[in-house]
Amino acid sequence: MEYYVIIGCGAAGMAAAERLRRLKPDASIVMVSKDEHSHSRCMLHKYLGGERDVEGLAFTDEDFFEKNHIYWSRGQAVKRVDTAAKKVILEDGELVYDKLLIASGAVYSVPPIPNFRTADNVYGFRDLSDAVKIRKAVEEKNAKHVFIVGSGLVGLDVAYALLEQGVKVTIAEMADRILPLQTDATSAGAYQELFEKAGASFRLGIGASDSKVNDKNEITHVILANGEEIPCDFVVAAAGVRPCIDFLKDSGLEMERSLKVNEYLRTSDPDVYAAGDVTGLSGIWPNAMDQGRKAAMNMAGMPVAYTDSFCIKNTINFFGLAMLSAGDIEPKDDSCQVYTKESRSEYKKAIVKDGIVTGIQLQGDISGSGFWQHLIKNKIDISGLLKEKNIFHISYADFYGLDSTGEYIYSGQC
Amino acid sequence: MKRIMIDASKCDGCKNCALACMDSHRRDGKEGVETLDFNSPMTVARNEIVCGVNGGYLPMFCRHCTEPACANSCMSGALQKDEETGHVKYDEAKCGSCFMCVMNCPYGIPKISEDRTKIIKCDFCNDRPEGPACVLACPKQAIYVEEV
Repeated sequence: MEYYVIIGCGAAGMAAAERLRRLKPDASIVMVSKDEHSHSRCMLHKYLGGERDVEGLAFTDEDFFEKNHIYWSRGQAVKRVDTAAKKVILEDGELVYDKLLIASGAVYSVPPIPNFRTADNVYGFRDLSDAVKIRKAVEEKNAKHVFIVGSGLVGLDVAYALLEQGVKVTIAEMADRILPLQTDATSAGAYQELFEKAGASFRLGIGASDSKVNDKNEITHVILANGEEIPCDFVVAAAGVRPCIDFLKDSGLEMERSLKVNEYLRTSDPDVYAAGDVTGLSGIWPNAMDQGRKAAMNMAGMPVAYTDSFCIKNTINFFGLAMLSAGDIEPKDDSCQVYTKESRSEYKKAIVKDGIVTGIQLQGDISGSGFWQHLIKNKIDISGLLKEKNIFHISYADFYGLDSTGEYIYSGQC
Repeated sequence: MKRIMIDASKCDGCKNCALACMDSHRRDGKEGVETLDFNSPMTVARNEIVCGVNGGYLPMFCRHCTEPACANSCMSGALQKDEETGHVKYDEAKCGSCFMCVMNCPYGIPKISEDRTKIIKCDFCNDRPEGPACVLACPKQAIYVEEV
């Protein structure tokens, strides 16, 4: 009998477990997670906004563990990993493994602003437990005003959910615009307007520098760098995450800011693999799942390399305004061509360098736009096509092809 | 699994497949392509025929891929490859409207609903015994079902 252990039940862990079971029908597979419920982090805001219950956050079938004959030790923190003895040490017990997958994800970081790390009313937004705490804070304290640090997708998800419940939010962002990783000034402006209409207030290009605490160790005011004092019932830190590797510090596994893996997602120990946020390779869901599946294949003795290093991509959907953003936001140098198209309902921007698309932003209608990622990732030369048509008329049809099994492929231009 | 195979050289762009698809997925209780309401944003085909650069028509139909990029990127579990039929099924109730599938399908197949809350994608007409409506409607056998 082979023993497989997977730490973490997020996107990477669950995808790995499913693939591993398919490849190894008779092996023992044990999963261990700090989370009590396997849930989709990308949908936590739907729980916070009261749109879904805990069950509604599941991204696999209800009977996932029974169906796949996986023993799941839930609500269990891993204390450490003993790679020499090939054991995972838990709070109360240990698990032996032949092959181990570490998919422990990431933890949110709280910015080093006075009182932020010690006050009792500063929350992150990473796990269901965080969403539960925020919901409780809203309900029990009858919160009227929340201060959010960071206007990335996480910060705005929290803002959206709180606004839906009539809570006023103020969001501080160090960059000069909201969603700075995905948008330029124009596309950011469209979202900012929608959020402001819904009651959000932004402070851009400025950070918090201090705070005031009451006798219950709760932050009552956040003070910005320009001296402005913003009253709040609680604070949400949405200013980034870091790989969850603290429990590995004595494991001997090679790590820096993240757990190091080679192209086969193997760590410095031949029997230990890693996938998802803990590797620091990519912060988005599809890549985490892909890494999980590929790590499982490598663990099962089917070598497959993970080569998808392109991870600057995302989709956004707030107030029914959808957006796709991939690659560069602005041209890197003067040799780039920038194409834009703007109308009442949409904004498009493409950046091309030497015939290769390096960045795309589509706001409004994003149907049929999956080919852009393929063009950017694979550096496909479109200079021939650009002579024939408007860049925004290019579609997969320009690369249409079929293989013998009837699947689509990218052929030369047709 | 069964797949809708495509012989693009036979397609003459009549779009009977698109009409049949709209008719088979309508929710207004009516039947027959002649009663389709083209003013309704709900009347959407899951397939599409686009013009090729050198003339000719290119049928765009969900392949229900062996490694489906849409389902592989789904963060809600709404899109899943059915192990028995091999078809990629979409559960509207589970969908989180994140549109990762739209970004990740390299062939641009999943569409977004008019109200931006759901996606619209081929369901192989729920594997009904007579086969998908589009295939039955094609007068040229440019699309046909085959076991692959």
